[in-house]
Amino acid sequence: MEPQIGHPSADSGTSQIRSPERRDRNVKRSLGRLKPYAPFFALIALSLVIGTMNPRFFEFNNLIRVANSAAIPLVLALGMTFVIVLGSIDLSVEGVLAIGAVLISLLVRNNGNANDLGWFGVVLAILACGAIGCLNGVIHVGLRIPSFMVTLGMWFIGVGVATLLLGGSTVRVLDKEIRSLALDRPLGLFPIAVWVALGALGITWVIERRTRIGRYIYAIGGGEDLAALSGIPVQRVKIIVFTIAGTLYGLGGLLAAAQLGQGNALIGSGRLFSTVTAVVVGGTALTGGEGGVLNTLVGVMIMAVLGNGMVLLGISPDLQQGVQGILIIVAVALSLDRARLKIVK
Amino acid sequence: MNPPNKDISGIPIPRRTFIRRTAALAGATAVMSIAPRRAFAAGTPTVVNSIRSLSNPYHATWNQGGQAFAKSIDADYVTLVTEGDSEKGIADIRAILAKTGGNMVLNVDPNDSPDARPIVEACVKAGAYVTTQWNKPADLHPWDFNPNYVAHIAFDGVTYGEDTGNALIKAIGGSGGIVALGGILSNTPAIERKTGLEKALKANPNVKLLDFQVANWKSTEAFNIVSAWLTRFGDDIKGIWAANDDMAVGTLEALRAEKLAGKVPVTGIDGIKTAIEAVRAGEFAATVSWDPYWQGSMGLSIAYAAKTGKIDPAKEPKEHREFYGTGVLITKENADEFYKTHIESEPKIDFNDYWGRVTGQIRQS
Repeated sequence: MEPQIGHPSADSGTSQIRSPERRDRNVKRSLGRLKPYAPFFALIALSLVIGTMNPRFFEFNNLIRVANSAAIPLVLALGMTFVIVLGSIDLSVEGVLAIGAVLISLLVRNNGNANDLGWFGVVLAILACGAIGCLNGVIHVGLRIPSFMVTLGMWFIGVGVATLLLGGSTVRVLDKEIRSLALDRPLGLFPIAVWVALGALGITWVIERRTRIGRYIYAIGGGEDLAALSGIPVQRVKIIVFTIAGTLYGLGGLLAAAQLGQGNALIGSGRLFSTVTAVVVGGTALTGGEGGVLNTLVGVMIMAVLGNGMVLLGISPDLQQGVQGILIIVAVALSLDRARLKIVK
Repeated sequence: MNPPNKDISGIPIPRRTFIRRTAALAGATAVMSIAPRRAFAAGTPTVVNSIRSLSNPYHATWNQGGQAFAKSIDADYVTLVTEGDSEKGIADIRAILAKTGGNMVLNVDPNDSPDARPIVEACVKAGAYVTTQWNKPADLHPWDFNPNYVAHIAFDGVTYGEDTGNALIKAIGGSGGIVALGGILSNTPAIERKTGLEKALKANPNVKLLDFQVANWKSTEAFNIVSAWLTRFGDDIKGIWAANDDMAVGTLEALRAEKLAGKVPVTGIDGIKTAIEAVRAGEFAATVSWDPYWQGSMGLSIAYAAKTGKIDPAKEPKEHREFYGTGVLITKENADEFYKTHIESEPKIDFNDYWGRVTGQIRQS
């Protein structure tokens, strides 16, 4: 490249004329426009760093593995997203997931009883999970109990019911078709579970962008009192959102049962924290009204890439948790538009 | 929107009514707590197991053992669960001590090591007999609390970590690369089992540990780590060692998703049903069973023997007071037999064989 000192371009000429404050403002504005995409850039940067240090990261087989480890978290986080956009929280993930996985394991061909309902059993179990989600919503709205408490209770009830159903033991799924969700790869591409998760993403995206419910969710999350005054059926929307969440946790239960080939009461343990983290890292604010399912996709991918990358780079297990914590804070710091928050709680 | 007067919690209760109700409630509680004490005090002691939860197969089997022992002496049986909460664990034990007036024997798997001390002290104070398992502080000894603190039972993680390590090394033909999954870094069993694996590796210099990762005892985390390992090491992985069965199951399913189940041998520890089935199917090279049925029944039986005077704890040697139990290494050779005797049917245990499974006094570290 030739140094351009002798021939300043028109562009650099104008920028010299601009006052420093104005340039500052322009930079700020364009940064502000980029802000919502910060998690996406973080994901790209993270992938590039890992890929540079271990090129095997970009191998097709590894991309399949990353997608596979993201499938269940994605389905769960999609359900959580709408709840968080509402400004509520749903802690019942692990309980509902456990019920879903245990019911499915008990209804399809298994080594615990004589049932063999196949996909009909799966539908029943997922409907049951939707009903639990609906119950969450009804109790939350009807008795005016904060969603935090209702869903906390439902978490314990869920694990308790799953424990009762199995007496603390584990039941194995013998139904080949259910297992094929995790084991079969159509066309040598991703396992079916990944396609199921993408399907869930598509459906929730349509709900978010193309339906009235989708718009209502944001209106309520942005300001519930205003939303109510403008005639939005706040209570009904909330119940629907919790029902959608429960249904998706049930779907997550199906994928978990297919992946591990078994159902037990503790199959969901540890899922709550990773689900909320993925949603928030993706840029959906816990205060509600902001973010969405595409953010959640990015958040889940960040967590999946991170988990995969730390093993690929051989980061010592003692350090991993710390690294994960730092990256979570950085991702949220980059993506959250704190200037617009009046209060930070 | 709900009108404000629908809010039930907002209804003010007059102060006097509140006091009266509280007094009534307190009175009722007092009566209730006195009444059963008389009923419980006489006759056969109540037998109590305190464990983490009934949601996992390990403690569920433990509980079955307790039920079987209680039935054998025709006693009331109570299961307490901590659900991972130390406070709850200790409070529940205090409550049952008060309820039975101390006429009970307790077999406890304390939620955390420090919990053992208040539990033992409460039992000594109430005159109950107690056996602890797995967790206790290193300076808390049964012989310092004669006769009520009867025994402490644990299993030597080093020995069995080494045993499964050796079984894995044998399965891969004595040379090649392996990877290993550990439990929560600060847990004693996790540390001990890893030490055991390292001993096995030291004796077999042709086997290389490619990487060690922590999956926090969980199958889901193991699944993702193993997937990533397959990218990093590919065919170099000849075998996978896991510090417990749950992680080993996650490992096996990750291998199955890559059509490698049965080709890359896996070992676990704990002896859950799924693991023993996997050994039978040739997908696991080995696991170790602690026989939780034995733990749940013999912990009670030893304490009950002290309570009824069949043994005098003060006269027993230290290796009967703080001992390592016997785990069973399960490999292809004995898996079918073990499955028949322990999984398909209730294990037969001689409740009077108190010291049959002692494999030595616990190391003082």
